[in-house]
Amino acid sequence: MNKKMGYYKGGKDHSEKNSFPNISGKNLLMSDETRLFRRIGSLAGKSVLAVIASVSLLALFFIFFFIIRDAIPFFRLEGIKNFFTSTAWYPSRENPEFGALAIFVGSALVTLGAVVVSVPLGILAALCLSDILPFTSRQYVKPVIEMLAAIPSVVYGFFALVVFAPYLQEKGGAALAMGTWIVLTPLALVLSVILGDILSSSAGKAEKKLKMLIFAMIIAVISIWGIYSLSDFFSGIKVVSGTNVFNVSIILGIMALPLIVSVSEDALSAVGRDMREGSYALGATRAETLLKVIVPAARSGIFAAIILGVMRALGETMVVWMASGNAASIPEPWFNLMEPVRTLTATIAGDMGEADQVTGSSRYYVLFAMAMCLLIFAFISNMVSEHFAKKARGMSK
Amino acid sequence: MAILLMTVSLVVLLFPIFMKGVGAFVFRETVENRELMLQRFGRGDREEVMADVRETEAARKPVYELMERFEDEMSRADSEFRRKYRSEYREVKELIGELMGPKPGGKEGALIRKRYGKVRMDRALAKLEQILMIETYDYSDTSRMGKKVLKPRRDIFRGTSLEPVFAILRKDINKMMKPGIKFYWRFLFDKSQDAHFFGGIWPEVLGTLYLSIGAMIFAIPFGIVAAIYLAEYAGEGRLTRLIRVSISSLAGVPSIVFGLFGLAFFINTMNFSNSKSVLAGSLTLALLVLPIIIRASEEAIKSVPRGYREAAMSLGGRKWHTIISVVLPAALPGILTSIIVSLGRAAGETAPIIFTAAVSVGKPLAVWQTLSQPTPALPWSVYNLATEHEAVNEIRHVQYGMVLTLVVLVLLLNLTAIIIRKRVSKKLRR
Repeated sequence: MNKKMGYYKGGKDHSEKNSFPNISGKNLLMSDETRLFRRIGSLAGKSVLAVIASVSLLALFFIFFFIIRDAIPFFRLEGIKNFFTSTAWYPSRENPEFGALAIFVGSALVTLGAVVVSVPLGILAALCLSDILPFTSRQYVKPVIEMLAAIPSVVYGFFALVVFAPYLQEKGGAALAMGTWIVLTPLALVLSVILGDILSSSAGKAEKKLKMLIFAMIIAVISIWGIYSLSDFFSGIKVVSGTNVFNVSIILGIMALPLIVSVSEDALSAVGRDMREGSYALGATRAETLLKVIVPAARSGIFAAIILGVMRALGETMVVWMASGNAASIPEPWFNLMEPVRTLTATIAGDMGEADQVTGSSRYYVLFAMAMCLLIFAFISNMVSEHFAKKARGMSK
Repeated sequence: MAILLMTVSLVVLLFPIFMKGVGAFVFRETVENRELMLQRFGRGDREEVMADVRETEAARKPVYELMERFEDEMSRADSEFRRKYRSEYREVKELIGELMGPKPGGKEGALIRKRYGKVRMDRALAKLEQILMIETYDYSDTSRMGKKVLKPRRDIFRGTSLEPVFAILRKDINKMMKPGIKFYWRFLFDKSQDAHFFGGIWPEVLGTLYLSIGAMIFAIPFGIVAAIYLAEYAGEGRLTRLIRVSISSLAGVPSIVFGLFGLAFFINTMNFSNSKSVLAGSLTLALLVLPIIIRASEEAIKSVPRGYREAAMSLGGRKWHTIISVVLPAALPGILTSIIVSLGRAAGETAPIIFTAAVSVGKPLAVWQTLSQPTPALPWSVYNLATEHEAVNEIRHVQYGMVLTLVVLVLLLNLTAIIIRKRVSKKLRR
């Protein structure tokens, strides 16, 4: 305030030396010393801020350092080859064996299952949110997504173990058959409408409706038949234990869903109005616009979303620990989802309790070796997903 | 429709948790519970409870009398009779002891759980069912799984003096247990008794609060300063890029790896504490939520309109002054949202605290003890009670109660965040 007043006051009697206004003899421009002082000050402040901001950099570095530091002794003691190729996991024997192949496969299976569940649903939901549903409905859907994302993983695990697993065990086949109907029927209907629309798009206007109807009917009948035979097959399955790959895949899929939906929805809405309007202007239908214009344009963003979903499923501990059965064996055949498996995260969580007392043994180091694999995989996929996300951002601009 | 599925799965997930979780707070108590509350927590009217106890003892008397008669009969009968009934009778006696607690005048068990019968009517009825019926499996159809078959236990004792006991138990169970509705809000604030057989979950709740608030204490200053730096000062230099990459990588690190790191660094290397401690757990959790806070706060700071900054600068404010007095207050709701969301995240995370902070049984800690001592925490105890407890089925209600508490805590925090965001976006639109 004072300065401003001073400016006006001083403005009246500016000195002859220079043309800048003077405040009671003092130059309004900063003197060289003040400028230097301020410069140093701001530089110092900035660097302090930068140092504090680098805490996350430091943390990441430390995480890598300490995990790898404790992982190296394992490879030195037990060798690398056996760890990745053998399925003999007997850490507590007198002559312990640390073949972790079955555990890697377990992690991969569970993650694959989760991806199969969450990716189609997640992308469909994102499409609905960005292009099909009216804008206002987003207001109501977003909180649902956020709540789904906010529920702690141990709660999902508890649900999987206490509610879902006994249900599967008792009514496994019937539940599976019903689930197939519930999930696949709407999918098939939407698919038949969209495909009918696309297949008939070359026809003239008058024919179009009829053709579309026919195509849609044919596809619908085929898919319903497919669903029926699938559910028939499922209802014959006997579930020995409710804690298995299937259970965990479903739950992990639901957990990864919010992430996939929100990231790919961002990517889809970043595509921009002009793309959509251009497509409509060329006479494309809504389905064509969606599938041939918007989804390809948002491809990299969707890809980034999928990778993030994979990471979420792979890095999840509590659900798999509680509900995957924790048997270190490869299911027979490998796609048999009703078998229990053991994953990397669950092994780390479960074995550390026993390994803790013997800090420094292979049994302790092997868990760090597993953590290192997880960490490196997470880091690489994060880089890849960042790359795709950046590409998506670049495209939308 | 995928959205519908999400909503449905949210409902399917939350419905059983809410329904059964409420059972930890409101349930039908038996006279045993009143006795327990009086003796262990000093609650309830002594006269009334003792009257109830006497009344039920009178109702239980015929059962004990019949048991004594049967024991008498057994001691007098021949060895074949004894062999036939000994183990069967021992089972019945044990089950009745579990249902009604030790016989009055009999010796008391060392564990608290042995000194009281079933405190909850639902558990009492389940126990009664177990006494009346024997569960066997029918494997006659080999192509299917064994079928559960219930056989009345009475048939075994037909013709002996114990036979009427089963009818009496069935008929007079209400007189023997005197059920009544109990609103046990102190479930949240009671210490647990005998490994969660009785009592509440206060140590867990308190531990969760310590851990998550501790994580915030470490994460908030660093997070917000980093966000200010990234949003206001950082150029497009190499350092900035590196910081951004490390933040996103940190967000992608699996939570269990954080736990291992916390163990290897904070405990084994830095020796913040001899073994697990709340401090080490909080620090680990702080690293976990740091990226969330930084990203959301940066977003909030960046969304403050340019005009605010320019107006403040044109009034002669310097940059840091502008940031502190104009930009930060304007971004405060957004920053607050990020803090609340990450508080919920820190409260619910299990994997990072397994090796760094959580124990299964423990007392509520005082604040200064958090520096050196581990604590029970809700998420870990949910896991522990649901998988490793010796009587998983007996204490389902405690597990559900814990899950409910955790879910309500986290969802309330998130709801607050959503509401704040909504109000802010309304304000900005105006």
